[in-house]
Amino acid sequence: MKIKLLFVALVFLAQQGMAQEWLVPEDQKNIENPSEYNLANVKKGKDLYLLNCKSCHGDPGKNNGLPLIPPPPDVSSDIMQANSEGELFYKITHGRGGMPQFETTISDDDRWRLVNYIRNYSPDTEPLLVEEPPKKAKVLASVNEAERIVEVFAEYQNKDSVYVALAETPISIGAQKAFGTLPIGEVLTNKEGRAEYAIPESLIGDEQGMVTLVVDLGEGFITEDVVLDASKVGQPKPTPVLIKEEILWSTNENIQTWLLLSYLAAVLGAWGTIGYVVFQIFKISRAGKEE
Amino acid sequence: MEKTKSPEESRKLLDKITFDLTRSIVKRDELTRFWYFILVMFAAVGLWGWFIQIRDGLGVTGMRDYVSWGMYIANFVFFVAVSLIGFLISSSLQLLKISWSKPISRVAEQIAIAAVALAGIIIVMDMGRPDRFLNVFLHGRFASPIIWDVTVVTTYLTISVLLYYIPLIPDLALLRDRGGDDIPKWKMQLYKILALGWKGNDKQYKLVAHSMRVLMILILPVGLSIHTVTSWLFAATLRSGWDTTIFGPYFVAGAFVAGAAAVVILMFAYRVRYRLGEYFEDLHFDYMGKLLVFVCLVYLYFNINEFWVPAYKMKTAEGIHLRTLFTGSYAPMFWSAQMLGLILPILLMLFRFFRKPLPLTIISVFVLIASWLKRYIIVVPTLEHPFLPVQNVPDYFKHYSPTSIEIMITIFSFMAALLIITVLAKMFPVITIWEYAEEKGIDKEILAEPKK
Repeated sequence: MKIKLLFVALVFLAQQGMAQEWLVPEDQKNIENPSEYNLANVKKGKDLYLLNCKSCHGDPGKNNGLPLIPPPPDVSSDIMQANSEGELFYKITHGRGGMPQFETTISDDDRWRLVNYIRNYSPDTEPLLVEEPPKKAKVLASVNEAERIVEVFAEYQNKDSVYVALAETPISIGAQKAFGTLPIGEVLTNKEGRAEYAIPESLIGDEQGMVTLVVDLGEGFITEDVVLDASKVGQPKPTPVLIKEEILWSTNENIQTWLLLSYLAAVLGAWGTIGYVVFQIFKISRAGKEE
Repeated sequence: MEKTKSPEESRKLLDKITFDLTRSIVKRDELTRFWYFILVMFAAVGLWGWFIQIRDGLGVTGMRDYVSWGMYIANFVFFVAVSLIGFLISSSLQLLKISWSKPISRVAEQIAIAAVALAGIIIVMDMGRPDRFLNVFLHGRFASPIIWDVTVVTTYLTISVLLYYIPLIPDLALLRDRGGDDIPKWKMQLYKILALGWKGNDKQYKLVAHSMRVLMILILPVGLSIHTVTSWLFAATLRSGWDTTIFGPYFVAGAFVAGAAAVVILMFAYRVRYRLGEYFEDLHFDYMGKLLVFVCLVYLYFNINEFWVPAYKMKTAEGIHLRTLFTGSYAPMFWSAQMLGLILPILLMLFRFFRKPLPLTIISVFVLIASWLKRYIIVVPTLEHPFLPVQNVPDYFKHYSPTSIEIMITIFSFMAALLIITVLAKMFPVITIWEYAEEKGIDKEILAEPKK
């Protein structure tokens, strides 16, 4: 009961807090962004955004954030862009209400890169991330079971419709599981469009240690995922025996000895006696012939 | 046993007994044909229902995810219960040397065979894939009460058939030797084969007596098991209404009630139809009435334990179940079964008048119907109240009511059971002639004499 009351009080207070404007201390407002607004920083910021922010704030410009109260604003929205860079940094750092703090999970530099990324969508700055139409690509991959390596070769169709090696591009490697593909790692292609991914020792496969690997080029390419069927590169999956031994209604392998013995004894006893009686019937018949 | 009569008297008496007791075999009139017609027609309609069920699957029944045991299983338990009367009358009373029960013994055994055979058939009819029936034997789990039940039903059926057949052998020889010309040839041929060359010497009589004794003793544990194991199908779960320790004896006591009522009805039918008033006497009905009162009282005692104790405690889940029985949707069925099928019969049968043949038979019909309803009340309401909440299912999943197909198949089972009994009555004497003759003081030598 006490806990319930406390909870109600907390929710009430939290709402009061949220209703107020999110004030940022004056000295924090106008701190200059030490991170330069360039493509490398914005790209890094994008990766961080996808990992930490997208789940609530959604895709920039699409207004598809989670329906929370208060709603997490879209990155390109006026509410978001009205903040100064110092304000954005402060809010990411400390959080409030439903917005968590990232002071302890994302480094200062990276938080400034997130600000760089948000600024990419500001009407006042020139966007650095240009959405290109996806390119056609081809991926070839094979598993070297002995050396536990996935060898990848990727090509893409350039402007002249010629396939050329896809250099310096991240390729993600996943393992197919019951409920989808589990990402296990990423590897960059070299200048020849080749890459070698070392499969971690700890990867767990099925009961025999077989894993189905999926090789995937990220967004921006039109290609089919390469699915490498059942290669023996994982640890065998531990299979605990789910049926306890010696319980009622159990399988014949797990039956209680006393139960099996009493069943068999009863059956043998009854049918043995029946057999004896049938034998008596034969004797009756024989006794009729004797005279 | 009466004192031995003179050979002349004995022969006369034996002729009369044989004449009376073969009347069921000889008699063939319009009524017999009509009776066969009714039985075969209804049984055929039921089989047609079964055909539909096999073709379209168990979806044609009212059984769904929650209530997965419906009318079939209730009916199965009913037939297992009825069959147990063979154990009480043909074995227990005989071993106790209660002589009035001797003429009834074969009636009880007919009922036992018909009921236990149908119990086996009903289980197959309850299967969605009866073609996989053999898997029960091939891959059965020894730790499952279902395999124990399958085992014990087959064993009981075998013992019942033997218990019916062995005392029949001297009768078959008697019919072979003394049978009238009015018995069809093929029946005489069959008697000759089944009589196993019976000559009626001491050695053979000793062997029959010995086998009977072994079987009567064997049927005690097997008979008790058949209904106890059937009760364990329910009691070996945690369901409210089933999770009780007295289910075994509770079922056995209930079985004697149902079986004794069935025996009374069949006795009365034979008495009227085959004019066996001198054999199924008022005295037999009087004793059967007393036996019925006794088993009813035992059953009442178990009922009080089974309902009064949990109703006093009203544990949450148990309480929901009990309220549906006492005041809820099953109240009319529950109270009419208890009142009309148990308490009122007990009170009435305490008076001598109600133990006369006709009143006792009418009471027995009520008792038998009530014991069928009782099985329905044991099986279905419990399944309607699972421990986990019933969510996101159509309304017809929540409550069970049998469909017409289920009723058709259930009617088939009754008709088939009556058909088995009718065929047995039409084939073989309904009372053991040689035992009865012996009781009347007729010498065995005369029994063995061929017809003049």
